[in-house]
Amino acid sequence: MRARDVGLASCHSCGLLLHLPGAGHTHCPRCGSAMHFRKVNSISTTWAFLLAAMIAYVPANLYPVMTVVSFGKAQSDTIMSGVIYLFLHGDWPLALIVFVASVLVPLLKMCALVYLLISVQRKSHLRKHQRTRLYRIVELVGRWSMVDIFVVALLAALVNVGAIATIEPGVGAIAFTSVVILTIFAATNFDPRLIWDR
Amino acid sequence: MVASNQPPELEDVPDAIVDEAVKGFPVVWLLPLVALLVGGWLYYKTLSEKGPAITISFETAEGIEAGKTQIKFRDVSFGLVDDVDIADDLKTVVLTATMEAGTAQYLTDASRFWVVKPRVGASGVTGLGTLLSGAYIAFEPNTTGKKQKSFVGLEKPPIVSQDKEGSRYRLRTETLGSLSVGAPVYFRQFDIGEVTDYQLAADYSYVDVGIFVQSPYDDYVRERTHFWNVGGISMSMDASGVKVEMESLVALLSGGIAFETLPEFAGSPAASEGAVFPLYKNRAESLARPITEVISYALKFTGTVRGLSIGAPVEYRGIRVGTVKNIMLGKDPQHEGVVSPVVVMDIEPQRIMGYRDVDDSDPSRREARALETRPQQRIAFLVEKGLRARLQTGSLVTGQLFVDLDIFPDAEPATVITGGLYPEIPTLPNSLQGIIASVNKILDKIEQSNLEETLTNLNVLMVSTSSLMSSLERDAPALLKEMGTTLQTANGTLAALEATVSADGEIGNQLQDALKEFGAAARSIRVMAEYLERHPEAMLKGKSGNR
Repeated sequence: MRARDVGLASCHSCGLLLHLPGAGHTHCPRCGSAMHFRKVNSISTTWAFLLAAMIAYVPANLYPVMTVVSFGKAQSDTIMSGVIYLFLHGDWPLALIVFVASVLVPLLKMCALVYLLISVQRKSHLRKHQRTRLYRIVELVGRWSMVDIFVVALLAALVNVGAIATIEPGVGAIAFTSVVILTIFAATNFDPRLIWDR
Repeated sequence: MVASNQPPELEDVPDAIVDEAVKGFPVVWLLPLVALLVGGWLYYKTLSEKGPAITISFETAEGIEAGKTQIKFRDVSFGLVDDVDIADDLKTVVLTATMEAGTAQYLTDASRFWVVKPRVGASGVTGLGTLLSGAYIAFEPNTTGKKQKSFVGLEKPPIVSQDKEGSRYRLRTETLGSLSVGAPVYFRQFDIGEVTDYQLAADYSYVDVGIFVQSPYDDYVRERTHFWNVGGISMSMDASGVKVEMESLVALLSGGIAFETLPEFAGSPAASEGAVFPLYKNRAESLARPITEVISYALKFTGTVRGLSIGAPVEYRGIRVGTVKNIMLGKDPQHEGVVSPVVVMDIEPQRIMGYRDVDDSDPSRREARALETRPQQRIAFLVEKGLRARLQTGSLVTGQLFVDLDIFPDAEPATVITGGLYPEIPTLPNSLQGIIASVNKILDKIEQSNLEETLTNLNVLMVSTSSLMSSLERDAPALLKEMGTTLQTANGTLAALEATVSADGEIGNQLQDALKEFGAAARSIRVMAEYLERHPEAMLKGKSGNR
């Protein structure tokens, strides 16, 4: 039995338990927060964030994340070219880390969210436990993708030695930040309870 | 009822307040839209910033790196080499490059590409900067011409960039000499241009040399400008001695061209771009007036013509009027079946200044004009007046000969001999030959005079002298005897004389006495003189010793 089945829901803000009518917008009489059984438009909002993230993922990988200007010679690197560079220079463990954190994780995260959304929309009853665990992993891992952005931001701020070496963040960095943030939003907006709704 | 089974507290659960329904577009869906818009804008921006992709082919890709080598114009990046590939025929290297946006208009069939790398040439070292930065591809934009995307790169940097102002000309020369591309062009020893290219003419009959003269010096190139080669060292030996000429050290290494416009041609119109000029071997040759009209004459010499070369000058009283054209053997008109040297010379009437400048209007000058304007007649006239040709030594050092024309009024009268291949001007032997002839004449005279008679006379003289001597020889002993007696007598006389004169002799004693007396007299005179000196009054009063 779910709280929803007896028309009950607690306020997100103050925790007050309320009777909710089946339809219509309601709010908490005590604190004034909007009241819902489930996150409002969870699937649609998640889809919106997810789609935006997927769109941003393209420039994030095609445009240079940072440009190193050294002795008047500028070298721009995308995420993948950086990975290839590291791999070719023998730093394959580092290459692997960058690849996993910056390419694979956002991609898998988006795939996972798509899978969750579609499965919920199709009211699938299969592997509800696994799906819930998947959701928890997605939510947990999401913020770690920001490491790349922190590195670029730090380097851009620190390495600024004029003609000898300057590091400038590229368009790709902004796009990549957008991907990370948008996927975090998408994950937050997804209501895992929907997995268990019939 | 389900509700009744609920714990009573649940009944107290208050109801949520129902809001008015707010229907509308979910704002969150603007996000993908924004993402789409931004993404689309980025894509568009990249596309619009991306210039045209071009291909350039080179013989080698030395120093070129895909993704690093830039295409620059005036050190501003115009593009980047993306890819280096070998052409399908394996003969060239094809570079694929992305140019900056907005450069499409500069990419025409007149645009040029070449690789800038360190180069060492005769005229200096270039591209040293690329030692550190690596080679780059220089690009010379050109908006004129047909647009294209596939180029053939130059293997060598062009000598003259297209935006340099100036003019290009073509020179024709028989041989290239020491000219090389990039060789300087001098005007009054100012380096004002360069040799841009050279090639053989299609029929191999001449060498076609392209030069570039910078503005504003191209203004000095007129239609009658002379160009000559100043490359290397030019050494010449002729009747005027040995000449060594060198324009500059650079010209010595890489060759060079100089030009000059004679003052009388300074007014001629400026040469048009691409005008063709002859390129002479040296300045003297270039400044020689263009000879278009020659009259050939034959000269027959009886003596040797050793030292005379083809091209030797023909001078009239020291002024050049022609050139020796040919030297050969011909029939000697005086001796049947004998050959003698024949010199063919070209009289160049154009060298005779002023022969055209005769006033036409004056009828009294008409005859003179006829002579002036018709060199053959003039020469015939001069020959009648005594014009003769002879060989003269031009330089004692080199022994080179030249043909000297002069008027010898005393010469045997002669005329121009016509009828042969060339009209013939009578000749005289040269000065050395003249001397030899004079000596010969003297010898002849000596030979012809009565030498035998003289010798006979001399012989007679000798015979008489000889008889005289023999008679002398016969009388000599008697003479000697007499001479001995005479000497003895003379000896006796001298001995007697000696005895008389000696100190013990009679004369001697007398002489000694006389001398003693003389001495005493001298002493008393001295005493008197001394006394008088002390007592001058003695002259009047007499000796006063007694008082």
